Amino acid sequence: MLLTDTTQQYQSNLACYCRTGNLAAIPGIHRENIREYRRLVYNVVEDMLRSAYPLAADFLPGEEWEALVNEFFSRHACQSPQVWYMPKEFYEYLAENNHPVLAAYPVLPDLLLFEWTETELFMMEDKPVDCSPSGDLLFSKLVLNPEHLLLAFDFPVHRKNAGQISDRDRGAYYAASHRNTAGEVIFTDCSPGLVRILEYLAEKPQSVRALFDRFEQEYQVLLNEDQQEHMIHFLQNALQQQLISGFKNY
Amino acid sequence: MIGIGYRKDFAETFLTGTALNPAFIEVAPENWMGIGGYWKKQFAKVLERYPLFTHGLSLSIGSPDKLDFDFLRKVKAFLKETNAVLYSEHLSYAKCDNAHLYDLLPIPFTQDAVNHVSERIRTVQDLLEQKIAIEIVSYYTPVAPELSEIQFINSILEEADCELLLDVNNVYVNGFNHHYDAAAFIEQLPMERVRYIHMAGHEKVSDTLILDTHGEAIIDPVYELFAHTLRLLDRDVPVLLERDFNIPELVELQAEMDRLNSIKESIRKEKEYAFN
Repeated sequence: MLLTDTTQQYQSNLACYCRTGNLAAIPGIHRENIREYRRLVYNVVEDMLRSAYPLAADFLPGEEWEALVNEFFSRHACQSPQVWYMPKEFYEYLAENNHPVLAAYPVLPDLLLFEWTETELFMMEDKPVDCSPSGDLLFSKLVLNPEHLLLAFDFPVHRKNAGQISDRDRGAYYAASHRNTAGEVIFTDCSPGLVRILEYLAEKPQSVRALFDRFEQEYQVLLNEDQQEHMIHFLQNALQQQLISGFKNY
Repeated sequence: MIGIGYRKDFAETFLTGTALNPAFIEVAPENWMGIGGYWKKQFAKVLERYPLFTHGLSLSIGSPDKLDFDFLRKVKAFLKETNAVLYSEHLSYAKCDNAHLYDLLPIPFTQDAVNHVSERIRTVQDLLEQKIAIEIVSYYTPVAPELSEIQFINSILEEADCELLLDVNNVYVNGFNHHYDAAAFIEQLPMERVRYIHMAGHEKVSDTLILDTHGEAIIDPVYELFAHTLRLLDRDVPVLLERDFNIPELVELQAEMDRLNSIKESIRKEKEYAFN
């Protein structure tokens, strides 16, 4: 390290001021201009968080959102060199610290997860998938779109406007989210059973029959005709929506 | 050749329309590496049509923190994958105390900072196996200065043996904010190291402060400083128009690029006339 401790300290003082607003002595600075740096840095962070979490930013009272952004940036050391990825750290910061705002607004954790999932799927690197567009839904092995995430919520943030959700809506909700070939992110409401079917498919391509057999074995139930129809209908729709990419090549 | 900073804000119109005809595009690798889906497809289409120049944001060459070699290796892969013509970065720091700040902070103009930054640039150049161009950033306050700005910059260019990205607007902004003659400042730079030029607009927010916003059209005095710079150069250097906010109709951006091109042409003719 060729920097002297003094120079390092001045650099640290400036960075600390940008994050916290607390300015320690730095010789030679223009006091009236240095505030521009804090303003610019804050704006970048706030803009990025608001653009990643537009629903959460609107859902929280303005001053609470602003305080949260300030607290996050001053206390958390952002690790990602890619600014678009920084909002994930915001979500993780609140979750890992069991932040009081999450208890004050019980919908907020789900809302943040829902919004970040959309960004993550929209931006994630392409994952190659080897499958054929043609096959038989009932007998060919189905290949799940690898660009997907399965989600569990306590509130139906994927169905309703957050502002209209109340404690009466609390429950167990599941959704599959995926990116189609046009790059659009689609959320599909699922029952717990359908999520389990998708988890089987995530392990390896399987036929509908094999999926049913495994489900029945795991839960020690016999799927009746209606339940099988329902699952087949779901898988058919998943194929159309590209949550299932296609059929395994042989 | 005149290029444009490629932005998602106008990506769709840019690809489908004919209003904007740059010779090349520039992006920040950070915004395009490690992504897929819609934007990757759009970016691939643009790369089929235009050469790519890159201008990094997060290398933080002036940081007291260690260089992020994992990040650098990803940048290297991105440059290779996109066949990028050059990689440039800012003479500033954007990470400190192990925290990214996502903006460009001014480095103290000190001799130890010269040594530190120069060593880091050499390390980056070794790892990337190419010279990089370092941009003089706009700044709104000096930080514990012991050297003049020109001494600081020229010492780094010399010690690091790197190239210079001359952002003419930044020099204009700095000249105004710190009360020096921008043209005289440029005359003191090693013009043989100028690899690339940036041009942009700014916003005067008070009688004593200009902010480098990239959100306005280029103003006449900056065009004049650009012409002055070109007269000092003995060769053609690629020029980029930056516009990051307040994006106008693309025809307006093209008009700015046309004006930059016509200034280049007229200076070239001036020089031909002088030599013939």
